[in-house]
Amino acid sequence: MSSRDAILARLRDNRPDPTAHPLPPVAKLGDMDAGKARFENSLQIIGGQVLERQENDTLATAIARTFPDSKVICSAVPDFEGTIRIEDLDSPQQAASVDVLVVRSPFGIAEMGSIYLSEAQLNSLNSAAHLTQHIVVILSPKNLTANMHTAYIDRPEFHTANYGVLMSGPSATADIQGVLVRGAQGVRTLSVWWED
Amino acid sequence: MKVKPVNHALAAEKFIEDVAHESFHDERLWDLRQKRDEQMHILPEWQELRTRASQIKEHTLANLPEYLEQFEANAKKNGIHVHWAADGAEHNRIVGEILEKHGAKSLIKSKSMVTEECQMREYLEPRGVTVTETDLGERIQQLDNQMPSHIVVPAVHKLIPDVAKIFAEHYHTDPNDNSAQSLAWQQRLAARPVILSADAGMTGGNFVVAETGSFVVCTNEGNADLSATVPGLHIATIGIERLVPRMADMGVFIRLLSRSALGSPITQYTTHFRGPQKGSEMHVVLVDNGRSHRLGMQDFWTSLKCIRCGACMNTCPVYRRSGGLSYGAVYSGPIGAIIDPTFNERKYSTLPFASTMNGSCTNVCPVKINIHEQLYKWRRVLAEHHELPFVKREIMHMAGKLMGQPKLYRAAINGTEVALSTMPRFVLYNWLNPWGKHRELPHPVKTTFNSWYKKNRLNIQKEREKA
Repeated sequence: MSSRDAILARLRDNRPDPTAHPLPPVAKLGDMDAGKARFENSLQIIGGQVLERQENDTLATAIARTFPDSKVICSAVPDFEGTIRIEDLDSPQQAASVDVLVVRSPFGIAEMGSIYLSEAQLNSLNSAAHLTQHIVVILSPKNLTANMHTAYIDRPEFHTANYGVLMSGPSATADIQGVLVRGAQGVRTLSVWWED
Repeated sequence: MKVKPVNHALAAEKFIEDVAHESFHDERLWDLRQKRDEQMHILPEWQELRTRASQIKEHTLANLPEYLEQFEANAKKNGIHVHWAADGAEHNRIVGEILEKHGAKSLIKSKSMVTEECQMREYLEPRGVTVTETDLGERIQQLDNQMPSHIVVPAVHKLIPDVAKIFAEHYHTDPNDNSAQSLAWQQRLAARPVILSADAGMTGGNFVVAETGSFVVCTNEGNADLSATVPGLHIATIGIERLVPRMADMGVFIRLLSRSALGSPITQYTTHFRGPQKGSEMHVVLVDNGRSHRLGMQDFWTSLKCIRCGACMNTCPVYRRSGGLSYGAVYSGPIGAIIDPTFNERKYSTLPFASTMNGSCTNVCPVKINIHEQLYKWRRVLAEHHELPFVKREIMHMAGKLMGQPKLYRAAINGTEVALSTMPRFVLYNWLNPWGKHRELPHPVKTTFNSWYKKNRLNIQKEREKA
């Protein structure tokens, strides 16, 4: 007998009575506020930031002001120039040369301040979301969902994308003596640019 | 050869001797426990989340064969190669073969307790595969040739100078570097070239969704996503108990996991893998390694509900003061003490006794595992299987006899009180009395409750009855 069949047979022999353990129905619990203010507050708690918008600012001027030392600014959206387009990166490894990645997120979660990205937004170059030094995420306040329950129940992406990451601020660690360090191995900052 | 039981008490004693490490460890973990409490108070639905999480997990375990088959069918449809490993040896062989087929000589991996269980590094390295841990804490432990001491924060027992010393030795950095920021930066610099040139990447899996054939990985550093997306080959090693039925169930678990673990609302990355990325190959290895056996243990099967948040460790007074390495096992703390004996009853026979039975572990568990009750049940099982040390067994035996006979018990109590007040210390505090090693015995009392009751109440009662 294969290990697969042996494991399944043993599980069938050993398991507790299935009728004694029914599956509870799916539920949407908790705070249903899907507002911008709640999202911004959560984003700040997890170490992300809202890209500040000054008078007459464009995304390009805001990026230039926030990341003055950046040379390679990679765009994954059609309406932003950047210095290179994500389509022009040939391998996952090439994303390591990017200073700032600009990408649009289909939705954010107000409870957590998380934004979602999948291969659809990353032109299938998933490594770009992590190898790049800084990430700027364009998000519309219309595309906020209240919490983790509403996200998993209402958003179709969790059933369709091959790679889908909820990014909640920059990468972080507290593995050395409990000191919180932002920018551990992945992006060092995560900024949200509100789209009208 | 007979395996010797882990001497947890002795190892803990050594850890406690080092005051700086012991007090930091205690405070750091208690801080995590308090942060968890803050999060719990923010959510009025916290207890309902725990109940649902527990019910979903119990349901899944009771229907595990069907859900595993459903996952396998959907994962295959998504283009994932699914493998089954009965034990650690089979897991390692499968991973070795996948790597060999791709000519892969370097593997970058994120933290996965299952691979620790299987001792995968020890298997792959002599076969010419370089395995690099990319999680900072796990990497520190790898460089220091130690097991993880905590399932979420593997190097929590180390202080900054310890890490500086290890990095100086392996990364040639400043041995006197006393900044956690700069040390973490050194790891980032050291890891990047290894990640960029790796042939294969490995992750674990926190949750496996039967309905979609996908799995979810929750991390903070970004190293798991890098391990999965940079090389063209992604292998995920996952314990078979990690299933949930529906994607819609994930809300319950994601809301509980990081809040219970670190007191943060969510991990920085919650990544859903449903199939290989473009130009890449994806393998999932489903590992049993004793789990299907554990499912049949009436008193202990619910330990399979564990989502590995480590909350029970952070709150446990014994764990906080004895350090994770003292457990001598891949899984330490309260959860380790109830699952380790299922791996090896004799070797881990001492661990269920490393508890004050205060029940705190049970109270914080996000999936409501009755941890302290299982600790108690393990003590019974181990006593029945004669896995107790001689002194403990004999004392329990004598205590049992004494408690069973009221007259004898009262005589003994009176005798003990006399002994406590008259005997010299060396008679009372010696190897026959491990309890007295770190504590003072209770102060002798002038009268016992029983004799006081006889004198003061029994007569009054009799007089009342007469009147």
